[in-house]
Amino acid sequence: MKAHYKSDKIPQPPIAGSIQPGYDVSLLFPVLFLVGIGIVMVYSASSAVAAKKFESSYYFLKKQALFSMSGIVVLVLCRHFPLKLLRSFTYPLLVLAFLLLAALHITDLGISVGGAVRWLRLGSFSFQPSELTRLSLIVYLAYSLSKKQDRLENFYVGFLPHVLVLSVFATMILLQPDFGSVVILGIITWIMMFVGGVRISHLLTSLLVLIPVGCLFLISADYRMQRIASFWDPWQHAANGGYQAVHSLMAFGTGGIWGVGIGKGYQKLFYLPEPHTDFIFSVIGEEFGLIGVLIILGLYALILIKGIRIAMDTEDPFASLLAMGLTAAIGIQVCINMGVTLALLPTKGLTLPFLSYGGTSLLMNMASVGILMNISVNSGQLSADNGQLSVNSYQSSVKLPVTSEQ
Amino acid sequence: MKSVEKKRRKLRICIVGLFFVFFFSVIGIKAIYLQAFCPWLNDRALEEREKSLIFRGKRGTIYDANGREMAVTSADVESITAHPRHIKDPRATAQALSRALQIDAKTLNVKLESGKSFIWVKRQVGPRKSRTVKDLRLKGVGFISEHSRFYPSGTLAAQVLGFTGVDDRGLEGIEFYYDNWLKGSDHKLTVLKDGFDRKFDTEENTDMSYSGKNLILTIDKTIQFITESALEEAVTDFSAKSGMAVVMEPDSGAVLALAHAPVFNPNSFGKFDRDLWRNKAVTDPFEPGSTMKIFSAAGAIEFGGCTPDTIFFCENGAYQIGEDVVHDSQPYGWMSLGKIIKYSSNIGSVKVSEMIGPQLLYKTLRDFGFGEKTRIDCPGETAGTLSFYRRWSKIDAGTISFGQGISVSAIQLITATSAIANGGMLMKPYIVQAITNSNGQPVESFGPRKIRRVVSAETAEAVRQMMKSVVEKGGTGEKAALKGYSACGKTGTAQKIDGKGQYAKGKYVASFIGFAPAEKPRVVILAVLDEPQKNHYGGTVATPVFRKIAYETLNYMNVPPRHEKKKLTASVAGDQLPMIVATVNGSLSMDHGE
Repeated sequence: MKAHYKSDKIPQPPIAGSIQPGYDVSLLFPVLFLVGIGIVMVYSASSAVAAKKFESSYYFLKKQALFSMSGIVVLVLCRHFPLKLLRSFTYPLLVLAFLLLAALHITDLGISVGGAVRWLRLGSFSFQPSELTRLSLIVYLAYSLSKKQDRLENFYVGFLPHVLVLSVFATMILLQPDFGSVVILGIITWIMMFVGGVRISHLLTSLLVLIPVGCLFLISADYRMQRIASFWDPWQHAANGGYQAVHSLMAFGTGGIWGVGIGKGYQKLFYLPEPHTDFIFSVIGEEFGLIGVLIILGLYALILIKGIRIAMDTEDPFASLLAMGLTAAIGIQVCINMGVTLALLPTKGLTLPFLSYGGTSLLMNMASVGILMNISVNSGQLSADNGQLSVNSYQSSVKLPVTSEQ
Repeated sequence: MKSVEKKRRKLRICIVGLFFVFFFSVIGIKAIYLQAFCPWLNDRALEEREKSLIFRGKRGTIYDANGREMAVTSADVESITAHPRHIKDPRATAQALSRALQIDAKTLNVKLESGKSFIWVKRQVGPRKSRTVKDLRLKGVGFISEHSRFYPSGTLAAQVLGFTGVDDRGLEGIEFYYDNWLKGSDHKLTVLKDGFDRKFDTEENTDMSYSGKNLILTIDKTIQFITESALEEAVTDFSAKSGMAVVMEPDSGAVLALAHAPVFNPNSFGKFDRDLWRNKAVTDPFEPGSTMKIFSAAGAIEFGGCTPDTIFFCENGAYQIGEDVVHDSQPYGWMSLGKIIKYSSNIGSVKVSEMIGPQLLYKTLRDFGFGEKTRIDCPGETAGTLSFYRRWSKIDAGTISFGQGISVSAIQLITATSAIANGGMLMKPYIVQAITNSNGQPVESFGPRKIRRVVSAETAEAVRQMMKSVVEKGGTGEKAALKGYSACGKTGTAQKIDGKGQYAKGKYVASFIGFAPAEKPRVVILAVLDEPQKNHYGGTVATPVFRKIAYETLNYMNVPPRHEKKKLTASVAGDQLPMIVATVNGSLSMDHGE
């Protein structure tokens, strides 16, 4: 078994290393491409809004460019950050996320926007703790699920603790309130538990319990029911609940196949509420048409395929689960955001990774990609700690390109 | 063990991957559906950002005969609009707007909660107030720049011009009559709006092809001013209830001035009594009194074989017709037709009418245009009342000949008199001489139009001579005599009819109709004063109006005055001499005839 594993695995890293000198180009390229498009589209989508709110049409462009620079730095740092160390940071990260979430409510650093407290003021910047929470939770689940992988079949070991940790964070985030982030955390947890090896019966039964709870939750508030109704038929509610969906659909329809051209879209001109964050995909749809939409979708598909490949190819369970969690997080955000702009899902304020304006989101997603690249090249390091034999040749082959990079 | 777990993990990762494949496919299919098969979405979007902005071209300008502006349209006002569907808090919005614009918050609130897509909050707000509202930054509240009509000369010729309402439509006067020409055409401008319903990226509404046409009036601002000043002075001096004065060019029928007193300001017409808005010279009939005698006399000369020297017996001041008695202000015995006019004998006039008979009197008056509209280009014209001669009683035939029992409009009276002044041709009166487009090129022009020949040139000349004697010493209109110009005229003093159809005591209409210079009349002037208090005789009350208007207008029109010989060398430059001498000669020869 081990021999097979060795012979199967050892030749790969040097080959990968020689083609991709330390940085997995097949992952880096689509990400940088999306970040670049993001800067341009944030400007196109936000210039009118920025000019009105901040009297400078470059306001969001400048900030997004700065975030992108920082994002690349974070990506490089995460690419080289020892995965072993990351694993040992699991609990400190969880505590940090918990403290930052708590800080939203118990300190006066929380910034209230439209009745929701989602940002922390940090000097001249603001930070979104729920984005860090997502990363922390993924690291924790990868750690916990890989550590307990022999006993995951047990409900009290494999299912309950993870769901409890999730519910602590979910409760805190619901207090902000930010229902969308909770949904994403829930889906990630279920996916990671599923991939990690938790019994499918546990996962499905718990879902069956959650569905009526969710329905009750929806019925309990009038505005949620209205939101569902306007999701069902946005044209009926075009003046109020369906307004965003209708204008997003109009943006796609106006774009047609070839788009109206960059900067020439109309729906971003105060028709769409958040053209540079939640509805940037609609702006792309209007300005670049179906061609642009499919290219963007394709770039995300490349990232997901690569992420899933990494998760599958990585021997180390922690690294594999981590890769799966990070990839799934990006994928879910993409699906929900695009689903909302295409009126496939009810309106929820979620950003599109790499493209939407927003510092925390961009930094966290870039960190995810950095870690994914790290795993793709360096998972051997972890295997070494696990007492596997393949280490030496693997390590040296990996180090070469890293040093050659200088 | 590890291998089993690894295999399971790989399998489960594959399943997760398949889920993503599924969701991405759904997203891709929906995008393809929306972007390749839903062209109606684009239509909806276009409809939303392009509709509901209809622009009206700029209203045309009204110029006087010399191209001076009398009514202009500027675009310095804005109207405040609201889009109730975009207003989240109608009550707060209504309150903020009502404070800024001093309008009722409750009514506005009802409108804002109506769920309509568009309402007017307030039309035509000045720049300062609209600035205030803009600073409030209310969502769903919009602004549309609108045209406002401005009358640079204020009250001048107000009743002629009329005014426009808030929709830029003419409501009175020329503005109403020529509204279809003046008004700009409606056009849908493809205005693009953003989500706040603000328009952007559109050319301003300056396209001239949508502008209304301009009018060039026959009215001359200067003559209008002269006329209004003279009229107002007389109305004040004699405490008259109201007055009107008309100046017409006899050869063409062009109205040079048309004045009313009291005046109103069309820039703020709402603050004035509605009664002042009417162009009464056209719309209101009145009993003219003795000014009608000139037409009876003209009929007698044209159809009755009379001459100014034909004599009539004036019954020594009282003449019984059936049960009624006609009086003269002074008793006269035998008098020539000329003297009947000069001294304005009612009995003489009755005798004249008896001589030609009702049928010919009626024909003469109809020919002069009484009892029918002149079709002047002003709204609401009256035809006056001239009943058919077969329905006249004996006394009617008599009184009509001196202007009682018949009603006329001022414009009828001056048009008929113009026919005498110009040698017997009835002209159609008019007030707009040309319509031009926004580049100033004429699209329509209105010249003099002959209606019919009423009397022969000789008859007209004979009547003119009689009218000239009126203004001379001893005539009822001697106070109308002009310094430097010869003039013709006729006074009129009519008793007014009260509500019960009886002649009211102490209520008179004093008038004077005349023209100058007598030899070649350039202007015909009618002055009418309603219920003057201090004196009611046309010869006293209305003559000063005529005199002032005639003198100043002829000066303004550069009509050379007739100088007495001794003054001639002193005041006139050499190069003008021959022309003046000619005039002097002409008038001298006429003077000999008197």
